[in-house]
Amino acid sequence: MIALVENGVSHGEPSVVETLQKTVSASRLNCWLQCRLKFYFRYVQKLTKPKTAALHYGSVVHLVLQQWNLARWRKQPFELAKLKQVFETGWLDQSQINWDGEEVEQKTSAWNALEKYFTETPIKANELPEAVEVPVEADLSGHGLPVLIGVLDLVRAGGCIVDFKTAAKTPDSDMALHQNGVQLDCYSVLYRESTGKRESGRELHHLVKTKVPKVIITPAEPMLEYQRTRLFRLMEDYVDGLDRGDFIPAPGFGCMGCEFVRECRKFDGGRHA
Amino acid sequence: MITLEANYSKKIGLPGYSSHQFSVTLKSELTDIAQAEKESARLYDVLQQSVDRNIQQIGFLPGEPAKTNGNGHTNGNGHQNGHGQPKPESDKWACSDKQRELILKITEEHQLDKTKVDQLAQDRFGKGVKLLNKLEASGLIEELLEQTGQTKPRGQRFQKAGGAR
Repeated sequence: MIALVENGVSHGEPSVVETLQKTVSASRLNCWLQCRLKFYFRYVQKLTKPKTAALHYGSVVHLVLQQWNLARWRKQPFELAKLKQVFETGWLDQSQINWDGEEVEQKTSAWNALEKYFTETPIKANELPEAVEVPVEADLSGHGLPVLIGVLDLVRAGGCIVDFKTAAKTPDSDMALHQNGVQLDCYSVLYRESTGKRESGRELHHLVKTKVPKVIITPAEPMLEYQRTRLFRLMEDYVDGLDRGDFIPAPGFGCMGCEFVRECRKFDGGRHA
Repeated sequence: MITLEANYSKKIGLPGYSSHQFSVTLKSELTDIAQAEKESARLYDVLQQSVDRNIQQIGFLPGEPAKTNGNGHTNGNGHQNGHGQPKPESDKWACSDKQRELILKITEEHQLDKTKVDQLAQDRFGKGVKLLNKLEASGLIEELLEQTGQTKPRGQRFQKAGGAR
C-alpha cells in the first residue's frame, strides 16, 4: 500500500474504503476505469466541487424526462406546459455554476433538445413503462463481489432498458455503445437480478445539444455472457485495487474536463518514505 | 470446555401486512471438538421444532380479527388453513425483505390505506403488492415516497446502502 493511501485511509477515515467495497455502481466503476486518482479524490477523500454547467444541463434534462416517463406510467396525458414548468423550476435549482455568460443560451438549448426529443422519440404516448428512475440493487456476494447498486432511467414495456444521455456532439453508434458498455452491462445485471428475466434489449437515447438539436437512438442487444464476465472482472479489480490502494493518476484526454486537475498536478506520487 | 451457541429465528407474514417473529438461543457445553458437528445438528433440530411449534400461536393481530370462511381463507391478505394456522407460502413476498419492510413501514407511519396501496400496485403493475418483483416494488416504493413527501434526489437514493453512487 502506498503512503498516500496510508495517509488517506489509516489516518483519515478507515471505514471509507471498506464502505466503498461493500457496494459498487456504474458511476464508480467508470471513474475507477477513467482515473484511479480521480476516484480517490472523489470517493475516498470526498472532495466536493461546484456543479458544472454541463452537469446541470444534463440533470435538468433528466428531471424533465423522468416526469414525462412518470406521467405515462401514471396514465396521465402528455402536457408540454407542465413539463416546461418542471424544466423552469429545475433550472432555477442551482448555485455556484460558472456559466461563462452562456446561461441563457444553454437553457434555450436544453429546452429545444427536449422538445426535439418529444417530437422524435420512438416511445409512443400510450406506451406504459415497466420502470421509471427506480433504484435497484443486485447482491453479487455469491460471486465474491459487492452489491451492485444503480438507478434505471427507464425500462420500456417488454423489458428494454433505456439510458438517457446529453451530448455536445453527435455520437457514433459503435463508439457510444463501447464507451457506455460498463453502464449498460450494470443495468442488465440489475434488471435480471430484480426481475428474474433477461432484458429484451438496451437503448441509448442521446439528446444532442447542437445548434439544431438532434435525437440519436442507439439500440444494443441484451448483455452477452462475455460482457457479464468482463464486468465481474472489473468489479474484482475494483475491490482488489481498493485493498491495495491503487490510486494512481491516468493523464490523458479525460483530464480536460476533470474537476481535480489542480489537486492532481500537486500529487507527488504518494511515496513519502 | 468448548461452548457451542446456536440460535434459530423465524419471521412469518400475517394477514393485514403484519408479521411476527420468534427466536430461541441455546448454549451447549462440549468436552471434545469432535462432538461439534453432531451437537450442532441436534441443536438445530431442537430449536427449529421449538420455534415452529410456538410461532404457530399468532396471538393478537392489529385491526379486525381474522374471520375464516368455509374454505379456511381469511378476509385479509393472508390465508389460514382449517386449524387457524398460517400458510407460509401465501405470506411470501416476491420482493426483497428490505423492500417489504419499507413498504410496510411507509404504510404504517403514514397511515395509508392498505387496500389503496394494493390497488396502486394493481393499477401500475397489474398485480398485488405481494407479487411485485424487486424492480416493481422499487417503483411502488418511489411512488409511495413521493405521495408521502419523502422523495430523495437521484444521488441520495442509496445513502443507506453505502455512500455515493
